[in-house]
Amino acid sequence: MVLEALEREGVDLIFGYPGGANLPIYQRLPDHPKLKHILVRHEQGAAHMADGYARACGRPGVVFATSGPGALNLVTGLCTAYMDSVPMIAITGQVNSTQVGRDAFQESDVIGATSSVTKHSYLVTKIDQLPRVIHEAFHIATTGRPGPVLIDICKDVQMAEAENVPPERLQIPGYRLNGHIDLESARAAAVALAGAERPVVLAGHGVLLSHAEGALRELAEKAAAPVGTTLLGIGAFPVNHPLSLHMTGFMGTGWNLKAVQNADVLMMVGMRVDDRVTARLADFAPKVKTFIHIDIDGSEMGKNVRPHIELVADAKQALNAMLPHLPEPEKSRGTWLAQIDAWREEHPLRYTHSNGHLQPQDVLIDMYKRCRSEAIVVADVGQNQIWAALWWNYDRPGLFLNSGGSGTMGFALPAAIGAKFARPELPVWCVAGEGGFVMTAQELSVAVEHQLDVKIVLLNNFSLGMVRQFQDDFYGGVRSQVDLTHMPDFVKLAEAYGLPAVRVEKFADIAPAMDAAERTKGPFLIDFRIDPEANVYPIVPLGKSLNDFWEAPDK
Amino acid sequence: MTAGSPHPPPPSAGAPQGGEARVRVLSVLVEDGPNTLSKVSGVIRRRGFHVLSISVGPSPEPGRSRLTLQVDHGHAEADQVRKQLERLVEVVEVEDLTGHDLHSRELVVARVAASDLSELLQKGAKLLHSGEGGATVEFAGDGGEVGEFVDELKRHGVQDVVRSGPVVMRRTA
Repeated sequence: MVLEALEREGVDLIFGYPGGANLPIYQRLPDHPKLKHILVRHEQGAAHMADGYARACGRPGVVFATSGPGALNLVTGLCTAYMDSVPMIAITGQVNSTQVGRDAFQESDVIGATSSVTKHSYLVTKIDQLPRVIHEAFHIATTGRPGPVLIDICKDVQMAEAENVPPERLQIPGYRLNGHIDLESARAAAVALAGAERPVVLAGHGVLLSHAEGALRELAEKAAAPVGTTLLGIGAFPVNHPLSLHMTGFMGTGWNLKAVQNADVLMMVGMRVDDRVTARLADFAPKVKTFIHIDIDGSEMGKNVRPHIELVADAKQALNAMLPHLPEPEKSRGTWLAQIDAWREEHPLRYTHSNGHLQPQDVLIDMYKRCRSEAIVVADVGQNQIWAALWWNYDRPGLFLNSGGSGTMGFALPAAIGAKFARPELPVWCVAGEGGFVMTAQELSVAVEHQLDVKIVLLNNFSLGMVRQFQDDFYGGVRSQVDLTHMPDFVKLAEAYGLPAVRVEKFADIAPAMDAAERTKGPFLIDFRIDPEANVYPIVPLGKSLNDFWEAPDK
Repeated sequence: MTAGSPHPPPPSAGAPQGGEARVRVLSVLVEDGPNTLSKVSGVIRRRGFHVLSISVGPSPEPGRSRLTLQVDHGHAEADQVRKQLERLVEVVEVEDLTGHDLHSRELVVARVAASDLSELLQKGAKLLHSGEGGATVEFAGDGGEVGEFVDELKRHGVQDVVRSGPVVMRRTA
């Protein structure tokens, strides 16, 4: 019955792993040839694949896992999706309903363990609940602020038979969608933004989720307001646009941070305004007279920054509601934009070229030239993530995927695999450090088994680079447990899994290796031995304000 | 916004003002279910709030219960308690009643050694049981009255006392 219900919801792909408590579902799987099942090598891989799939195509990713350890292995992946508002359906097997609570074999309290990392969850103990629950779960996962929904199904329920018809109308009284826009607030926001002397707009993941890029651009151009994005908002506004401030936050660009810290009106759209965006909260955007916050989740209003004007709404609807009320921008706007241009000149992105080592930025710039905004790049977590975020002028949405909120190392490879399943027509590049890569490297088997065109750019610095950088700069220079000297030979590792790989140690070898990757059908790995001392800049020292960002040293 | 912020004072936090500094009084209508209470308490815990009292009972609507909560909202903005609870699918309705004119009633049941109960009964206690070892009484009132009653019990050789959290209702509909 589970499988029929999934077909009814339009599912065609499942990432999963069978085990004792979900065998009844797997027994029926061969009877459903329309449901393609990807056998992962670890349940966490399944969750990240479903996540990457959902981020790449917008449809919810579906995961199967068995009870106990199977379900618990999903937790990190669920948290990753939850923090970044990614729609996902996790269907876990649970022990027989009569066994629940008796510490049966492979029993665990999955609802309890996942409540804090799911948008909603269900324990299904009776077959007649199942059609309604599955239908509701898809509705909840994909509407409003999206997120993962978990359905824990007792094994006896999986084996039961019943009429399989979901209710025609969903009745979920506790689930409220914000469809109403307060037009007065929209008008007030438009007037405040256009009337500002020094406006700044910041755009987050919510802009991408609601496909509000067009409305955002129209609004920014009409209001002559510069726009930055969060890490997850990359692609919401073209970086090469004259009004672009590129990425904000504590590893954002210097001209962005200068603009935010000097703005008099700051409009934040589809974002949580978390600590990575604000740095020290008391000093965040200190000259702002009017904060405008647009988010579909009302609990974000005042969670971190109390707005003066709030719009609890879908980003596109809210921006479209503002547009007709936008007056001509304030005359002094030219001065502000000129100031930002001056800051852009003064604080450009830069990196060290001349120390004889391979620089990660050189690798990424070569990769991005090949991508030309027509490929999906999935970054892991750490220095590789920030380099990948900063060193390309993204001009369209949905091409840069990463674990922003949760910061889950090991995300990139399985998420890239999921993204490739979602968008087979696009090249997919996976950018990872060697530390994160080995956390989920077993999923290489999946890439090889399905001959997925996923190109793996390993930025290998033989250390946990971001942690090393933090220790150097913010923890007294004490390098503690960051050396990854004993790692596999990644070329041999790739060969062992059955995919071709090369090692690159010199600048001159970047392009030939990338050529080989592009020429090769199926997965390909390049082990780039990069400068072990390469750092991420700009960076705001921990606990400091956005004013205090450090830039790359001059050399 | 943290203390010392340079920003002008923001508009009202949306929830009614007043009452104890960090304590919110909420009346929450929830769908009955095996996960509901743990999800409600889980949200309160992980958002850094702290439950001071909780009482749960069936509501007149079938399949739904009424929770009355007193919650310390910690470092979060006051209206976060309501907003975070509203995000739960199991939660049908949240009313933040902090600072409203309320009927707030608590129940206390106590076993006392004293044989002379006249003072307690005069205060409005009801005798539930009396025997050779002492008596069991109950008393209902607002938080202050119940507090005074519990103090009074000490002078009557209290052996055991149990006290509910408050249930509340607006004085005006």
